[in-house]
Amino acid sequence: MLEIKNLSIEFGELKPLSQLDLSVNNQEIVSVIGPNGAGKTTLFNVITGIYTPTSGEVLLDGKNIAGEAPFKVNRLGVARTFQNVRLFLNMSVIENVMASYYPRTRSGVFSSALGLPASRREERQIRANAEELLSFFGTRLAGYRWEQPAYSLSYANRRRLEIARALATEPKVLLLDEPAAGMNPKETHEISEVIGQLRDEKKLTILVIEHDMHVVEGISDRVVALDHGVKIAEGSFDSVATHPDVIEAYLGKGSADRK
Amino acid sequence: MEEENQTLGIGTDEWVAQHGARITRRDGIAGIVDLLNQRISMPYRYALLGIAAVAFGFFVHDLYLIRIASNLGIFLMLTLGLNIVMGFAGLLDLGFVAFYGFGAYAYALTSSTQLNQHWPTWVSLPAIILATAFLGYLVSLPSRRLFGDYFAIVTLFFGQVFIQLVLSSDSITLPGDTDSTDITGGSNGIPGLYPFSFFGRSFKSTSDYYWLLLIVVAGLLIAITRIDRTRVGRAWRTVREDPLASISMGMNINNLKTLAFVVGAGIAGFAGAIFAGVQGAVFINGFDIPLLTLVYAAVILGGSGSIPGAIMGASIMSVLPEVLRVQNYSEFLFLAVLIITLRALSKNWKRFVINVLSIVAIGFVMKALLALLNTSLTPSTTWAIAPVSKVLKFWLVLPEHRIAWGNIAFVLLIAGIAYFSIAGEAIKLILLPVIAYVAIFLWEDRLVADPNVTRQLMVGMMLIVLMIIRPQGFLGKTRVEVL
Amino acid sequence: MAYFAQQLVNGLTLGGVYALIALGYTLVYGVLQILNFAHGDVYMIGAFIGYFVELALGGPTHSWVPVPIMIFIMFAVSMIGTGLLGMVIERFAYRPLRKSTRIAPLISALGVSILLQNAALLLFSANIRTYDTSSFIPSTLGFSIGSVTIDSVRLFVLILAIVLMFALSRWVNKTQVGRAMRAIAVDRDAAVMMGIDIDRVIRWTFFVSAALAGAAGVMNGLMLRGVSNGMGFVPGLKGFTGAVIGGIGSIPGAMMGGLLLGVVEALTQGYLSTNFSDFYTFVLLIAVMLIRPNGLFGKKAIVKA
Repeated sequence: MLEIKNLSIEFGELKPLSQLDLSVNNQEIVSVIGPNGAGKTTLFNVITGIYTPTSGEVLLDGKNIAGEAPFKVNRLGVARTFQNVRLFLNMSVIENVMASYYPRTRSGVFSSALGLPASRREERQIRANAEELLSFFGTRLAGYRWEQPAYSLSYANRRRLEIARALATEPKVLLLDEPAAGMNPKETHEISEVIGQLRDEKKLTILVIEHDMHVVEGISDRVVALDHGVKIAEGSFDSVATHPDVIEAYLGKGSADRK
Repeated sequence: MEEENQTLGIGTDEWVAQHGARITRRDGIAGIVDLLNQRISMPYRYALLGIAAVAFGFFVHDLYLIRIASNLGIFLMLTLGLNIVMGFAGLLDLGFVAFYGFGAYAYALTSSTQLNQHWPTWVSLPAIILATAFLGYLVSLPSRRLFGDYFAIVTLFFGQVFIQLVLSSDSITLPGDTDSTDITGGSNGIPGLYPFSFFGRSFKSTSDYYWLLLIVVAGLLIAITRIDRTRVGRAWRTVREDPLASISMGMNINNLKTLAFVVGAGIAGFAGAIFAGVQGAVFINGFDIPLLTLVYAAVILGGSGSIPGAIMGASIMSVLPEVLRVQNYSEFLFLAVLIITLRALSKNWKRFVINVLSIVAIGFVMKALLALLNTSLTPSTTWAIAPVSKVLKFWLVLPEHRIAWGNIAFVLLIAGIAYFSIAGEAIKLILLPVIAYVAIFLWEDRLVADPNVTRQLMVGMMLIVLMIIRPQGFLGKTRVEVL
Repeated sequence: MAYFAQQLVNGLTLGGVYALIALGYTLVYGVLQILNFAHGDVYMIGAFIGYFVELALGGPTHSWVPVPIMIFIMFAVSMIGTGLLGMVIERFAYRPLRKSTRIAPLISALGVSILLQNAALLLFSANIRTYDTSSFIPSTLGFSIGSVTIDSVRLFVLILAIVLMFALSRWVNKTQVGRAMRAIAVDRDAAVMMGIDIDRVIRWTFFVSAALAGAAGVMNGLMLRGVSNGMGFVPGLKGFTGAVIGGIGSIPGAMMGGLLLGVVEALTQGYLSTNFSDFYTFVLLIAVMLIRPNGLFGKKAIVKA
């Protein structure tokens, strides 16, 4: 579904990614791990079009999307969440989700202003879809929460809302950037289940950046480890977790030998 | 009460979330306002406004008042337009009034002897709106890549370019001609415009324009409210909130920015055309930064992004200068503002009375002081309200060198207000009546005679104070911003 | 050729004044990321202060100090006066808004600008004053190289502008306050954590910024222009333009931008038309913004996702 070939990006002297190969198959969950500064978020930014790679390809269903504008990438089927949660804070919870239906809907300025039937119908549909999407998270983002401003949500709820918002764009591939960051064990467990459900019920292909190894272990079909922009290991969780290069990257030189 | 708590479960999310419904009414006036707010929903409020506006049109015949109302309508159109560009999409367009001027000049050029054109209004109005919208499109093109401050800068310059262009186009030699033609009348403007006419009937008085404005503004309010609540309005707001997140959720923010710009420009152009019709003439100096400031002040005062806020802000900013112009009204206004501010800054009614008495005391002290200094005293100017006037003559004295004393008072007032903002509680108590007295003194001495300067000073002061105490404006919602 | 050189010289002098104003904008933008709309009006107040000092010292014709001393005092008092004004403005109109939204200081700045202009109107009335420089400095006094002449006033202004810019560079690069200012411009939170007293540094930044504007105001007055309450708007706009062309936030950029603007203005006035020269200036700016949106010396902002 998503294939990254020989991807490199350079900012002058800085090389956040070098000749990276990565692929995610249909309805697979792949986790990307690595110490801070390994280039994981940069990878997401390149995939979603925020950065243009210096060389290499990003193939979505065989089509190269490298360098396309982020909104185009999204319309082609890739949605993401952000490492430090970028919600539309002053808009209500449900508006955050309803807004993201924009690329899939059509009413323009005139049809809305005139209150044409087609426009009203579409608006009701958007609202219904958003309510249904939010109910995916159970009572957390339900009912009374809809009209509250997004800035009033707790941290964990904000992360959930961000996922809901990404889902509203009806993607094929979902990029989750540290979805469990800052969550307590119970919330972490919940989010792992949610990610699994996203794959099973919504048939999504998911690429996850995570630091929490419990989550990685629990959800991944495959794990990819990066360090300094280069892939250093790939495979099942166990094989990657015990890989000497990976241990060295996290714990420093010589740790692999000591283990 | 106990049972209620148990079923809801204190501390759970739902209980917390519903706390808004459980707030007890505030005391006094604020409480009544709250009650009205809850009971009368928006559609009814708009309906009330509409009825008032229609009644005004039927029962008021004073041309002066109709003129003020029409200007308010035009200004409201501008405010709504800017509200879309800045309030919804978050674009700081500092050249906005240029579109307004363009619309006005476009009308002038199509309905006057300047270029010998006399287009029927049902043709010229839509054409002007479209042309201005197109101009908005052109201006937005280079600005698309820019954000925030840079965008503001470029739009500011477009605004200035427009003014320069108009000023310099009074002698242009067109290719093929030998003489120069006067297209825009330069700094003299274009007088003698033909009035609007529909279905063969020309507009004969400002009244006709008033009715037109009523319909147009009502239509705009409905349209904009609808847009705000639906897809495009939401998308605009996401551009304002977080452009990066917005574009990652599939929204083409450049197109959205352009759209907001175009809509805003179209509205401004429409307003400009109507303005030209009402005035019967166009002059370029009405389309520069001073007007821009007023429109911005109106949007911000009311709450950027809020439609009722735009109505409120436009009303204040548009009617204020008129009120200040007539001495009767301006005195009333001053008195009202003084009392309201004093009451707001006093903790309770008892404090308020003490403050008022202190002011009176200071007045007498000053009177005695001035007598001591042997500056010959002129009794203060008469107020239209006779009893007030008598009291004032006795209480407030203006020294001989009015201008000099007025200047001192002015500097003291500004310094006093500034110091007040950082003073401790104790000092505030003493300072407040002093500042109030100085304000009254200054008003009588200088400001009442100079409405233009007074209005500007009040606008300037208001902007600063507003940003400090309530940046979201009167009817805006508190915003959270991640810097 | 001589004509071109003459225009160039005039332009550089004009540009020097613009550069000083531009520097004021850029300094404030660097530390607070706000566009100080009131800056042009501070320039105007500076011009007025110079005028009143001149009057106090005996006016253009009967000054009781030698002319060079009078000029020095005019500059000194004006710069200190406007510097203090800048500090006061910062304290009351911008400091309370440090934690507010991004637009709030801009609106407040607008308010300050309106307040200053109308305060000047109220206090000084609408009469246009003039320094009447030719009364104490004969306009024939000057230098000429070939057929290019520069009168002594213009020469003095140009030299003083260069001196001030040089002094500013030293201040920014070599003093502790200047370094602290640069630190705050790069990362305010980190600067706070490094123990920098940002209130103090910001105050000084405003002082310097306003003082430069004050100097520019006196320069303008000396070059035989009228002094009135609305005189700050257009030079403020142009100084602002210069700062933006050079890259807002960049000090060398502001200098270059201001000088460039002055030269362009002089050249367009000399060769194209006096009427349209402002028009061309603004068109130039828009062109620069499109090609290099960050200005000549501006740094590209790195967007962190």
